[in-house]
Amino acid sequence: MPSWQDFQPFIVSGLALGGVYALSGVGLIVLYRATGVLNLAFGALGAMGALITWSLIKAGVPDWLSWLACVVFAGAVTLGYGIIFGPALAKRDPLVKAVATIGLTLILYGLADLLWTTSGGQARSITFPTDNSGFMVGQVQVNWTQVIALAAGVVITVATGAFLRYTKLGTAMRAMANDRDITATLGVPVRKVEAAAWLGCGVLAGLAGLLLADLVALDATTLTFLVISSLAAVLIARLRSITITFIAAIVIGLLHDLLTPITALTNYRDMTPFVLAAVALLVLSRHQVMSQSREEA
Amino acid sequence: MQATPVQQDASRRYKSPRPDRKQLTRAGVIAVLLLFVLFGLPQLLSLYYIDTMTQVAVYSMVALGLGVLVGRVGLVSLGQVAVLAIGAWVAARLLFATTQPYPLVLLEAGLITMVLGVIIGLPALRLRGLYLALITLMLAGAITVVLATVNFPNGGHGFLGYNGSLVNIPPIRRPSIAASDPAYFRYSVVVAILMFALVLAHIKTRPGRAWAAIRQSEPAALAAGINTWLYKLWAFALASFITGVAGGVLAGAVHYLYSIGFPTQDSITLLAVVLMGGAYSMWGAVVAALLYQFLPALLNNWGVSADWLTILFGVGVLQVLTTAPAGLADQVPRDLARLGRFLRSRIRKAAPAPGGDAA
Repeated sequence: MPSWQDFQPFIVSGLALGGVYALSGVGLIVLYRATGVLNLAFGALGAMGALITWSLIKAGVPDWLSWLACVVFAGAVTLGYGIIFGPALAKRDPLVKAVATIGLTLILYGLADLLWTTSGGQARSITFPTDNSGFMVGQVQVNWTQVIALAAGVVITVATGAFLRYTKLGTAMRAMANDRDITATLGVPVRKVEAAAWLGCGVLAGLAGLLLADLVALDATTLTFLVISSLAAVLIARLRSITITFIAAIVIGLLHDLLTPITALTNYRDMTPFVLAAVALLVLSRHQVMSQSREEA
Repeated sequence: MQATPVQQDASRRYKSPRPDRKQLTRAGVIAVLLLFVLFGLPQLLSLYYIDTMTQVAVYSMVALGLGVLVGRVGLVSLGQVAVLAIGAWVAARLLFATTQPYPLVLLEAGLITMVLGVIIGLPALRLRGLYLALITLMLAGAITVVLATVNFPNGGHGFLGYNGSLVNIPPIRRPSIAASDPAYFRYSVVVAILMFALVLAHIKTRPGRAWAAIRQSEPAALAAGINTWLYKLWAFALASFITGVAGGVLAGAVHYLYSIGFPTQDSITLLAVVLMGGAYSMWGAVVAALLYQFLPALLNNWGVSADWLTILFGVGVLQVLTTAPAGLADQVPRDLARLGRFLRSRIRKAAPAPGGDAA
């Protein structure tokens, strides 16, 4: 059994990873609650955005502009998808809406792999100036990027919570989460509110993509399908609460990284999000009522 | 009890065993097609394409299993490639450990996969819709991680049968009657035909009707006295069995199995192609397998990047979901018929019959 010393660095990296998962989870939940769409393309959007950033930096564009490009790209594509396919699929089952975003995922993933070939290509990476500066907590080196990742998770969760609670747009989104038709009847501009949710989700996808490209790896496949791990936190929150999403994301990130120094389990640490999500889903669905309503489970 | 007109009609139809001409033609076309695939195709194709077509046969079974779940019962699974990996693992382990005849190993691989699928599916089936799809994705992710660690059997000892060394790995054996590639292709087609027949037998009888009721509305099916839990589990078991058998065929086809060949995201792509091919018809499974295995091989041969195909699948999913829910297997014949009608009407207009008005 490794000593406490061995675990310390992984607490820091785990918290950073958890922060990004929380950020992703909040983006997924806001969109799901407002539009009923679980955006499985979340990872692909961030991946392609991050690859664009990489190319821009390589071409000599100032760093901050390149980072902005990632967020703008992800936001614009998500908004475009939402405007084109959102209304067309609005009346369909949540499952159909989620599967449709798999279509977007495959298009983006194919494009990213085509334009930024992986086979035989050089390893790409995005580095922030904050990577190399940091401080010590006890004997553990903490860099500012990790702090930013965790802080982004906290700030986005709190800000989104406040936004949904106190602003007019946020109230409209919560109303849509309850019932789209009644909300429309009450005079809420449903399409506009949905568009805002799509844009918000896209911007968060871009942010998450940038951070994960630095913290994990800049690779189209890895980033695209990392959304499956982010989904776990959202599932534990049953696609509802952003607070539970945040807590679940931090737990998943921490547990995943804390298993690393344990030799017997280190190979299985990637199972963490899946196992936690599966167990949570099964436990939470103990008392299920079958109904004809659209909102299932 | 008095029979309603509908019942009378149904019983009359049941009593007349003579199939109509349309059915006979269809059966004839299928028979000719199968004979061609079994005996003509291996003569025409190069070894590269014969191997590809074996993969098509394997994946048509996987797509068939997913088609039963998605198209017949309305359960979406995002974990079928992980089930395929389990089937392949079990078959490979049995083939290394025993000298049983190949069909027996296939049957056992199917049954063991079925048991595992049921154990996994039993709790998952309490969930519905999106949640069921996502939990299958989570479980597939977990299975993939386990497989990456324990590896596929390669003739080693112990329960896992993994021999750490990377040299002198014995190939997974094939049946003695189908050692060559063309013979193995025929063998896999025959297995696929059996699986399609198994599904057809289910669809035409009681389970098929129960599944159709569940697909329409689960509460209504429950109210009608259908044991929805049993029939949903049955569908899960059937799909797992077929996918397990497909895994067994895959093991012999490729000789060497690696966990990297079964990534979680393939289950997502598989769902995309099954939706594109058409989840509601059995032809859809064949179309899906051709899209999934034959097209990449073709593009690879032409030197075109497979990424174009991924993009095409993405567009296809969006197109199918927004405009053609029954997939290509339904859409193409329908559109061709429409085109035919259109062309005929144009021809008639161009050469108006004497006395008829061309307006």
